Amino acid sequence: MSTGTLLAAVLPVLAVGALMCSLPAVTRPTLQFGVRVPPERAEAPVIRGERRAYSWRTAAIGAGFTLVAVTVQGHCPSWVPRVILVPELAAGLGCFWVARRKIAAVKSADSWFSGLRQTVVADTRWRTDPPRFPVRWLLPALAVMAATAAVAALRYPGLPVHIVTGSGHRVPKSAVLALVVAGQLYFTAVYSGLMLIVHRSRPDIEAADPAASTLRYRRFLAAFSRALLTMAALIDASLLLIALPDWQVYRLSGIGRALPVLPFAAGVLLLGAVAARTGQGGSRLNGNVHGLAPAAGTDRDDDRFWKAGLLYVNRDDPALVVGARFGVGWAPNFGNRAAWLLAAGTVAAWASLALLGAAAGM
Amino acid sequence: MLLSIEPDGPVPIYQQIRDRIVEAIARGRQPAGSALPPIRQLAVDLGVNFHTVNKGYDLLRQEGLLRLGRKSGAVVRRDAGSGPPDPGWTQDWAARLRTLLAEAAAQGMPATDIVAECETAIADFAFPAAAAEA
Repeated sequence: MSTGTLLAAVLPVLAVGALMCSLPAVTRPTLQFGVRVPPERAEAPVIRGERRAYSWRTAAIGAGFTLVAVTVQGHCPSWVPRVILVPELAAGLGCFWVARRKIAAVKSADSWFSGLRQTVVADTRWRTDPPRFPVRWLLPALAVMAATAAVAALRYPGLPVHIVTGSGHRVPKSAVLALVVAGQLYFTAVYSGLMLIVHRSRPDIEAADPAASTLRYRRFLAAFSRALLTMAALIDASLLLIALPDWQVYRLSGIGRALPVLPFAAGVLLLGAVAARTGQGGSRLNGNVHGLAPAAGTDRDDDRFWKAGLLYVNRDDPALVVGARFGVGWAPNFGNRAAWLLAAGTVAAWASLALLGAAAGM
Repeated sequence: MLLSIEPDGPVPIYQQIRDRIVEAIARGRQPAGSALPPIRQLAVDLGVNFHTVNKGYDLLRQEGLLRLGRKSGAVVRRDAGSGPPDPGWTQDWAARLRTLLAEAAAQGMPATDIVAECETAIADFAFPAAAAEA
């Protein structure tokens, strides 16, 4: 068993464990395990206790599953370490729900929102002076795609009609070239499309500090958009590096076989660093310029619209996506038909690519 | 302009939208000629139905404070510096004000407190300099 194979099997399990463990740290203080809490209750004993318990539980789960992945690696078929991610994620979800249930119970028993003025705040400047989509940051992804197309065009005449891929399958050369370009197109389109939608969606504005939280959200959106578009370019680069040995440009062996994973891993680290720096919606950013505008009340208790604390379903809300409830990012509004279409389109495109790849033996 | 509403409050949401915009115009935060977000975008930002925002904007249009155009969108039509309103409007407003002041008096609020509240509110509005000095 080579070091590269072991790392490829174990690192995703370890990364998922670390991700689950760190999510509460990047989530807003007023959103604890999917439960909306007033700012003055953000440090309530039940919340502190559940955060601590969740950290220990997810750390133990991550360590346990990593150990399992190391143990089974080399003794089981290669797909087994990948399947380990499913029970690991399920166990993490279980920890989330345990914490959520306990906090929600105390919140309900002590009527945390009773007597508070619950408001929703909109900043009209978000529409009259909207944030700009960072088009220039799309250029690296487009450059990698252009480079891929150029290499493919150069290599195509010299390649045999059928190529033996890294997995040992004989595949028509046109299929090998087309799939790589289609994969790059998919990731670039999905990431840039998502950010375009997010730029048109509503910002996360805190009623307790509306003006400053809007400014922080602008900085968060700018940083996260750039990181995500860079991630698209790095994924494209990984796809190109995966394809080059099949296109007989070079041959990799030993630890060198991990080379194609490096751009992707760099992208994941970059996204993680940006998320850790900004927090959800910019909640960890400095610049708490209190006094820009008076508090407009407390954020509305909207728990009823979040199914299982993670899925947003609100038919009265025309928004396509809203800020994620746990972790950093955005969640679709499943009460909006367009969100279903968007999700179905994304999954269908991904499934088509996977099926084409499988049919071509890649 | 920051626009805050209470979705679960007793006042209808369209009325709250209308009230907040009127306050912003009076305070000089939305002067005449300034644009408001399109109906659909404000509905997304507030998480309410399009028709709710449309109703609020339509109220403002009927009151002559907003101009709604297909190309220009929603634009503020009047502000504190736009000159005196129609005499008919002033009469209606005076009647509503009397009722509002009568409510305070009926609840036992002293006249000095009523006047103080009125002065505090007026001090927050952006009247043109010449008119304020007069």
